[in-house]
Amino acid sequence: MSDTLRPTDSQSPQPVQPLLARIKRRSFFMYAGATAGATALALAGCSKDETTPSSAATNVSFGTGDASVLNYAYALEQLEAAFYAKVAALTTSPLLAAEVPYFAKLATHEAIHRDFLRTAINRDFGGTIIPDLTPKFDSIDFTKRVKAATDTKLGILDAAKAFEDLGVAAYNGAAKLFKGSVYLGIAGQIVSVEARHAAYVRDLITPGSFATNEGTDVLGFDRQLTPTAVFAIAQTFVEQKLDASTIGQ
Amino acid sequence: MKLISILDHLAAAPATAAPAPRRALLAQLGRAAVAALPLGAALPAAAAPADTSYDAVTQLLQLERTQVALYTQALAATGLIPAAQTADFQRLLAHQTQHAALFLKALQDAGAIVPALPRFDFSGKHGVATNPELFPNVLTNYDAFLALAQQLEDLSVRLYQTQSINISDSQLLRAALRIHAVEAQHSAHIRGLRKGRGAVVQNWPSEEDTAIVRPAAAQALTTAATGGEENGVQYVTPGVPIPFASLLLISTNTAIHDPALAEAFDEPVSSAAAQAALNLFV
Repeated sequence: MSDTLRPTDSQSPQPVQPLLARIKRRSFFMYAGATAGATALALAGCSKDETTPSSAATNVSFGTGDASVLNYAYALEQLEAAFYAKVAALTTSPLLAAEVPYFAKLATHEAIHRDFLRTAINRDFGGTIIPDLTPKFDSIDFTKRVKAATDTKLGILDAAKAFEDLGVAAYNGAAKLFKGSVYLGIAGQIVSVEARHAAYVRDLITPGSFATNEGTDVLGFDRQLTPTAVFAIAQTFVEQKLDASTIGQ
Repeated sequence: MKLISILDHLAAAPATAAPAPRRALLAQLGRAAVAALPLGAALPAAAAPADTSYDAVTQLLQLERTQVALYTQALAATGLIPAAQTADFQRLLAHQTQHAALFLKALQDAGAIVPALPRFDFSGKHGVATNPELFPNVLTNYDAFLALAQQLEDLSVRLYQTQSINISDSQLLRAALRIHAVEAQHSAHIRGLRKGRGAVVQNWPSEEDTAIVRPAAAQALTTAATGGEENGVQYVTPGVPIPFASLLLISTNTAIHDPALAEAFDEPVSSAAAQAALNLFV
């Protein structure tokens, strides 16, 4: 494991090293166990003793070029992974029994995407990685499966749908921002899995609501959103200020 | 080329004999190369698809036409699709019809040769009654139909992954990527329908799925739909893996082997493998 990491470490400036070291611990917890691992992940995501997360007021800027687009994807995967890790760690879940193991799968998939992007960015664009984001899920009621009409907070399925739809639209919109096609390929391998998640969650909320268009979209084409539009939605779920202005420049 | 203008025209009948303006698609292709390509849906067996922009668009057109034909025939087959799911398959048909229309229009606008609409035969008999039946009961048995539909949608996700990048026109490329995600939703939904009927299958390709059994002569479909999906190592530069699977000690350590690693990434399919599968139905 350390053999694989060493080249990346040597290319990276100092601040990156603690991040990489933490991947190993976090990954071990994530993949080695089932429920216990998910709990550990959730705790790791919240703990303040391992790293110095950006304070709430900090702006997160994404730099330019392909590194910025990868970091953009990484930011969204961080949010998704943190959300599903929190769902997976619930001791009393409002989800149906059949849904619980599936949401554990979603948690694992998103954690894999997050770790994959972090590893890829650190290897190919050492020193550009954005800090760990601090999730802000106070608009989500984790005791509700789906929100009632009178609820002001999202239920778990509502939030999952929002995250997955947002992820698909973000990847679709980011395609034109990549300078080289190599990253387009790998983004394509991830976005279709996000779309599968979206269809799964949508069908849970309303059977047969997969791939439906809400609002103005065209039949048979999933949405695409610019980074600015995506962050306008994602900002609700993050403490730090996300700055989309340079992504893909 | 404005994407929205294409989309506006999707539902309209194909253009009349008036020549359409030249588009970026053709500019990238070279007129002579297009004119030299043979008519017909399937590429000649001897010539492996070369993954030019024209080949990409025509192959995606054949894929969409195949799915349009399957859903059209299935919706027309009395008693096949339960009433509760009719709307689902009407939506699938509507989406695939839009996709086929997009690629047809792109070829027409470029002045390129449009392959003739093939005659589809989902039994695998290629229209010859004495040929062996490779896909029995797909238009009479709902489970058999769903299994075939799932494999074609899975193939679809993978082929868009492969061919989108080969489309030289950037607007058309972005449209193809948006279709790619829709095909993934289709696949996930059909997998969900099969799961609801007791099949051991997840909403994404997984090594935990029970394999769909096909005769050897129909294996090309299974290969194109899910062959290689078990891959757990991801590359960005060919031959240079992102040090990810080894970092996590998953793919090499069976003690903590996790199928989620392969599930988290869909895999592209070679255009040749996809063509072999598509050729089963014409």
